[in-house]
Amino acid sequence: MGLLKRELRLLLRSPAEVVQSLLFGVLVVALFPLAITPDPDVLRQLSVGLIWVVTLLTSLLAADRSLLSDFEDGSLEQMVLGVAPLWWVCLVKSVGHWLTALLPLIVITPLLGMMLAMTSETMLWLMASLLVGTPVLSLFCVLGAMMTLGLNRGGALLLVILMPFLVPPLVLGTQWAMTLGQPFYGYLLAGLLCVSLMTLPFATASVARIAVGR
Amino acid sequence: MLRSESLSCFRQGRWLFEDLDFEVQSGEVLQIIGDNGVGKSTLFRILAGLLEDYDGKVEIAARSCLFLGHRYGLNPRLTVLENVQFLMALQGEVPSEDTLLTALAKLGLLDETQQRCGELSEGQRKRVALTRFLLSNAELWLLDEAFSALDHHGRQTLLTLCQSHVDRGGGLVFSSHQALDPLMVDKTLRLGPA
Repeated sequence: MGLLKRELRLLLRSPAEVVQSLLFGVLVVALFPLAITPDPDVLRQLSVGLIWVVTLLTSLLAADRSLLSDFEDGSLEQMVLGVAPLWWVCLVKSVGHWLTALLPLIVITPLLGMMLAMTSETMLWLMASLLVGTPVLSLFCVLGAMMTLGLNRGGALLLVILMPFLVPPLVLGTQWAMTLGQPFYGYLLAGLLCVSLMTLPFATASVARIAVGR
Repeated sequence: MLRSESLSCFRQGRWLFEDLDFEVQSGEVLQIIGDNGVGKSTLFRILAGLLEDYDGKVEIAARSCLFLGHRYGLNPRLTVLENVQFLMALQGEVPSEDTLLTALAKLGLLDETQQRCGELSEGQRKRVALTRFLLSNAELWLLDEAFSALDHHGRQTLLTLCQSHVDRGGGLVFSSHQALDPLMVDKTLRLGPA
């Protein structure tokens, strides 16, 4: 619990990080109609995919934010040496990533949807898909960030490593929202979340032991 | 408490050290001396269990072990008190706030408890990191260049802290560039060219 408290405390002390995620999302969605077309019918068709892509990119931008500071100040070493299970530490880091980078974006999704002339039914299914799908993005982002900690040009490597793993939640999430809740996609996305929750914190913990040895 | 057999480490194209044999018993102090770059910190990271890329054997029989390296594990955005509370929680110990304040006072940090660690000097941050050594019951202490960056008062406090730990039967391994008080040290290991 101490770790979770610390993550929340750091989140409250870094409002700029939350604002950065929000600003990125709002700017992309605001610029999109200017660059493509202001036609509401076209925007409506593209809206779900666009918001999902923005969410995915936001999660990537924030991937190594908190881990990098823990690595540099030595907190990560102490976490590895501590008595708390390392998989739990990694799970909490993923929760922290989700809270700072993705939850704010989910909260303003109705606003983004309105900017793209989205129907209210689609908006509800989009929020549902984001709530189920984005934790998967966070779990993968923390795993990828841990892999590239302390490496030169880690950012580019992070993109290459993560992209193939982020495509399934993207495809399932957009399809679930665009088909207005077809159960097939919902079950697959929920299944992916369950499998990710059960495996990725352990994988991240193994990688963390290697990362602190760099 | 701690034993190493034929410990060797090859890093960045060279042997940092080869075939190191040493042991630390309960109530003993081992000092590791050597110039910059001879592998003192690498050796400490191996002993702490942070590095697994080595040859030979390291056995730690101590119930618990505390490590202080070059990075203290203090988040610059958290206050002194919050950082110490977090580090203690990582060790599975939750001392009361009064106990924490008493320990911080002993290290001369009572006025800084609500200050963020990013605003402190190097020596003050080191003293914050040492607070958990004062509060913990760990049997083995690994202190990598813990005496550097400390002022005279901080240095004396740390020496007293180490002495009382050893008197209680704890083991201590510390490193420095120069030999320290020979009365306190039981064994010395010199790293570097023979």
